[in-house]
Amino acid sequence: MPSMTSHRGARIALAVATSIGCLALPFFASAVVNDWIVSAASLTILAISWNLAANAGLISLGHSAFWGLGSYTAILAANKLGLPMAVSLLPAMLVGALAGGLLAVITGRLRGIFFAISTLALSEGLRVLAVMLPGLTGGGEGMYMNPKLRMGPEFVAALMVVGAVGAVWLSWVLARMPSHFAFRAMRANEAAAEMLGVHPVRFRVGVLALSGAMAAFAGGVRVWYGGFIDPGIAFDLHITILAQIAPILGGIHTLVGPVIGALLGVLLSEATRIWLGTKGFSLLVYGLALVLCILFLPNGVWGGIRDGLARRARRLRGKP
Amino acid sequence: MTLFPQFLLDSLLLGGLYCLMAVGLALAFGVTRIINFAHGEMIMLGAYGAYMFATYAGIDPLLSLPLVAVAVALVGYVIFKLTLERALDAPHINQILLLFGVGLIIQNLAALAFTGDERSVTTVYSLAAGSFLGVTVPYGRLIAFAVSISLTVGLLVWLRRSELGRAIQAVAQRADAARLVGINVTAMFMLSFMVSAALGAATGAVVSFLLTISPFMGFHMLVKGFAIVVLGGLGSIGGTLIAAFLLAFAETGVAYFVPEGGGWAEGVALVVLFIVLILRPRGILGHAVDD
Repeated sequence: MPSMTSHRGARIALAVATSIGCLALPFFASAVVNDWIVSAASLTILAISWNLAANAGLISLGHSAFWGLGSYTAILAANKLGLPMAVSLLPAMLVGALAGGLLAVITGRLRGIFFAISTLALSEGLRVLAVMLPGLTGGGEGMYMNPKLRMGPEFVAALMVVGAVGAVWLSWVLARMPSHFAFRAMRANEAAAEMLGVHPVRFRVGVLALSGAMAAFAGGVRVWYGGFIDPGIAFDLHITILAQIAPILGGIHTLVGPVIGALLGVLLSEATRIWLGTKGFSLLVYGLALVLCILFLPNGVWGGIRDGLARRARRLRGKP
Repeated sequence: MTLFPQFLLDSLLLGGLYCLMAVGLALAFGVTRIINFAHGEMIMLGAYGAYMFATYAGIDPLLSLPLVAVAVALVGYVIFKLTLERALDAPHINQILLLFGVGLIIQNLAALAFTGDERSVTTVYSLAAGSFLGVTVPYGRLIAFAVSISLTVGLLVWLRRSELGRAIQAVAQRADAARLVGINVTAMFMLSFMVSAALGAATGAVVSFLLTISPFMGFHMLVKGFAIVVLGGLGSIGGTLIAAFLLAFAETGVAYFVPEGGGWAEGVALVVLFIVLILRPRGILGHAVDD
């Protein structure tokens, strides 16, 4: 089918061109635009990471745990071992993956609210730990990154974009694999999934390790961008809230949803900051968006668009 | 050797407050099977209500407590009508995220209204203390304990003796069976949610003269409330009361007997929460809950 291949070729070309465009953008952008790029890209990674776990029926209310571990690991790798940015992200992702895997093992078969509350406790517990271990983390006063190692903001932004593109690609690959049926089965009924040959514990370890590594990557790059970390920033409830609002806003359990949601999230927060000024408004707007979405648009913006298109197609075909 | 008796007294007084803090959460969950993620905000609203009465009208928090509780129960009514009632059949996780969003809204509205500054209500008994057999008795905490225990006992008596209380218990046991005997289940959901909000507000009014208050205090209280409710067993009020004292003793013990314990005590609730969820998710007296 030549038309099919050319269609596919065009899509790949478009993807490559978009990626290169995104990558080049930070080098021509102003500091403010760079901030936006970093916010949008990091939120995209977080949203995909959260959605990945949610796809397997694991709703996290403590995604800042992985983000914060990534931040602390990256800054410690830089300050104590002198590792450059790209290399410091490897231990950061490893720690994130380990934390995710460990969480999966020790929470065993906890599901739904029980799992959600245990993630919340994990993130809060790590915050207390970071405050109480000043020898390692700098305690409540926080810690600056060695300024000699830091790189220009455009490089850091570009790396975050690479991560976001990688996260999109990864979720696309996962959705194309047979595992995507396993995800759906796990979400619907874990016991039934087991009967069909999905090993629930192994599956959960894999999913949470991947999700943890992704969030840790974003947290790790973020600390290179900001150059400072303290327990409040690392294990911020704000991160947890953003990680869950973006996929819900865009469309939970979909491929495009988290990306749309991440962009909308940044747009909402920037728009409220610019027009209304106070920082309190952006969380207020997020809260409103969350409530309205769950009540009136449970499949998110993307789901709404899809349903709208399907209705239109039915009408055009002349069926009611 | 007054350290040990002092530890016992402090734990006991804290435990009373924790009972009140968690019992509202346990009641709403037991009846509706929905964890109220905005419960911390009910506490926060109660604290600000008491603060407003004390600052602008000079009314003592203990006197304004009933008014504040009724006002926040009405807030609970509005939340129930606007959001929860539409999501009663939705997946649990949607309900949680919904209430999480409601909490976020209330929190940030409060931050806009009152600014993020920490405040406190100072009464004559806030910092006063007496001495009994060599043990320091802080009057503020003693009063908080008495109020908390009275309200908790009042709730238990109301649940056991009154018609409405029994109807609520019937719904908590089996909603569909309660519906069959003619109980309006949705109305009982709403009532328990409102009573739970009022209990949260009462907690806030009590806390207002003991601790500093801020718009973001709720999350912290919520996490502790979770730890207690999960330890006691989701849905069991009796278990919750036992767990409240257990947590109070554990936290105070860490604060007293561990070096730098004041900071580590913050983590006790989280460790307890984590361990209970892993080892025995149904807690001390609770039943298994699916999802």
